Amino acid sequence: MSITVVLFWFLTALALLSAIMVLLSKNPVHSVLWLIVVFFAISGHYILLNAQFLAIVNLIVYAGAIMVLFLFVIMLMNLNAETEPQKNTWLKLAGAISGGSLLLILVSVIRSATDMTGRTAQVGEGNIGLISNLGKALFSEYVVPFEISSVLFLSAMVGAVVIGKKD
Amino acid sequence: MNAIILSAILGVIMMFSGIWVNNKATLRWIALAGLLVLLISNIAEMYGYRIWNVNVHNMLYFDRFGLLFNSVAIGSTFIFVALSGSDINRVGKYAAEYYTLIFFVLTGITIISVYTSLLMLFLGIEIMSIPLYILTGSDKRNLKSNEASLKYFLMGAFSTGLMLMGITLIYGATGSFSIEVLNNPAIAQGVSFLEITGMLFLLVSMAFKVSAAPFHFWTPDVYDGAPGVFTSFMATVVKAAAFIAFVKLFDARMSYSSAVVDWKMLLCILIIATLLIGNITAVFQQSVKRMLAYSSIAQAGFMLFAVFSMNEMAKEGIIFYAVSYSLATIGVFAVLLKMKDFTFEGYNGLAKSQPVLAFANTVFLLSLAGIPLTAGFFAKYFMLASVIQTGHYLWMVIVAVLFAAVSVYYYFRVIQAMYFKTGEGETENIHPGFKTGLIILTVIIILLGVAPNLIINFLYF
Amino acid sequence: MNTIPLTHILFVSTALFFIGMYGLFTRRNIITMLMSIELILNSVNINFIAFNKYLHPANLDGVFFTIFIIAIAAAEAAVAIAIIINLYRNHKSIDIEDAAEMKY
Repeated sequence: MSITVVLFWFLTALALLSAIMVLLSKNPVHSVLWLIVVFFAISGHYILLNAQFLAIVNLIVYAGAIMVLFLFVIMLMNLNAETEPQKNTWLKLAGAISGGSLLLILVSVIRSATDMTGRTAQVGEGNIGLISNLGKALFSEYVVPFEISSVLFLSAMVGAVVIGKKD
Repeated sequence: MNAIILSAILGVIMMFSGIWVNNKATLRWIALAGLLVLLISNIAEMYGYRIWNVNVHNMLYFDRFGLLFNSVAIGSTFIFVALSGSDINRVGKYAAEYYTLIFFVLTGITIISVYTSLLMLFLGIEIMSIPLYILTGSDKRNLKSNEASLKYFLMGAFSTGLMLMGITLIYGATGSFSIEVLNNPAIAQGVSFLEITGMLFLLVSMAFKVSAAPFHFWTPDVYDGAPGVFTSFMATVVKAAAFIAFVKLFDARMSYSSAVVDWKMLLCILIIATLLIGNITAVFQQSVKRMLAYSSIAQAGFMLFAVFSMNEMAKEGIIFYAVSYSLATIGVFAVLLKMKDFTFEGYNGLAKSQPVLAFANTVFLLSLAGIPLTAGFFAKYFMLASVIQTGHYLWMVIVAVLFAAVSVYYYFRVIQAMYFKTGEGETENIHPGFKTGLIILTVIIILLGVAPNLIINFLYF
Repeated sequence: MNTIPLTHILFVSTALFFIGMYGLFTRRNIITMLMSIELILNSVNINFIAFNKYLHPANLDGVFFTIFIIAIAAAEAAVAIAIIINLYRNHKSIDIEDAAEMKY
């Protein structure tokens, strides 16, 4: 049991448990806070997988920006455990069973895929995820999708103003 | 590349013209001029004139098929703005922004018709969807519009999630996002379970996007709740574009028989379910707008035949279907938007009060039903003939014809209301230009119904 | 050794994907549904990076796809929040079941 393996299992347990807590907690603010924990755990995974830049971006964009937006909205609407609507138990049970069986199918597919078994990589080595390597490829090979995604941001911006503005 | 870049630029121009131009009618003329420029530049690209030479690193490939569809989509949007522009201006205060968003939707459409990389497919679909979420919710005071927008967003985001899961599994199996790799016969026959699972995820997410049953449940609510003008746009140009992406994605899947998954069988189930649900539910609707939403599901069932048979004829057919279906539906919606009452009763006696509208509407509905001498007939003919060409599942042709007969019933209900029932047939004020536009559209539909080669020849000049 | 089989990482991402899907279908609070969508997107991100690192380390395709997903998720969240605020202004509720004007 090396330190990486221990870290991997710790982060995995953290991610899954807090993801479940996101759905279980009655108070939406707690949900958001648990979701931030999930993002930290996932960033940890990214670092183990040598994607250092992505780990930072994930924290800045998700935990830093999107989650703050969510928190703002929740507080703006003054949501709390009392206002939290609940679906009936049978629907939840049905969802859990169908979701669980799909999960089992997908996991078994992954486990039985021949090109997957026994694949291991040195975790925690290499520098492919560093900014300089990423930047070079982003502005040469991936420059077209990069520029095109700016249209998406522009339309999201225009849209958010059109919808969100009070008239 | 012309259309992609130019539509983005024109979107920005529309955005800024909203600051300086206060007159909404002028905005509409600017949008029409922009669409005309876009159409011309795209047709120029079909003949080999490129304004920009961009190294796209094999992520886009500008073939005849994609470019012709771009022309069709831009042309349909032009007709849509020409006919329903005044209704766009009535939706809310932000007319310039609505035109901006329509141009951005066109950017997305022009990307997904020429993509060769799954990354571009994802980006294109998102660029197409995000403005649509906004347009759906643009009637801000109307609760139905808000809800429709939210439903559309949740379903869209969920299907995007499924699509991404599919792409990631395909990436794991093949190490690439290129659809050329996917269309490689060895891979198409199914080499690894990962890849097949990925394709299944993609099938489900594309079925969501084109609203094929059983993934159609969001469609009636969204189409009904959205402002009518934007429903017209969503149900025509956008849906056709999603089909083009679908066809490109499943090209090899349907051409080679796979040892592991019977893709034709899966598609067959999708088609039958879509035709069944779309047609049967449409019969029971009271509101013409909602009937058109269900009929668009039924029409999607017919368009799925192109994905099913996947031969040259199917590719010609899907473009022709896109043209005839888009034009006819835009026309029907343009008339619908002028009505005071959206139920079948609202159409009572329209032939007396507005004979031109009633006649044009009849031609559009006949085209949707697939009656000979209209474009819709050849559209359905191409689809069914392509299935016959494959030589498999011939019984599906019979089923499809039966459902087409069912569809005649609910389209004729509108015609019956217009001609054979007495009523006021109340409409808004009709501008003479609107009538002229409708007549031109009618002529185009009849012309295409007599000589379908006018469009198809563009694939092979 | 410092090695973790690929299947373990894929299990994490698949489990997150289905937790997100479960949340999307069973929760009625729109904000929580939005969070479930973020969970789904994150699970996909892990998948991409794991595949890139383990199976196709020659180039960075997976990492780039992840960057685009993160960027687009942010744009989508902004639009979604705008829609939700607008709905809340008219409706004073974030319960998806209350958004039932459409039922006919």
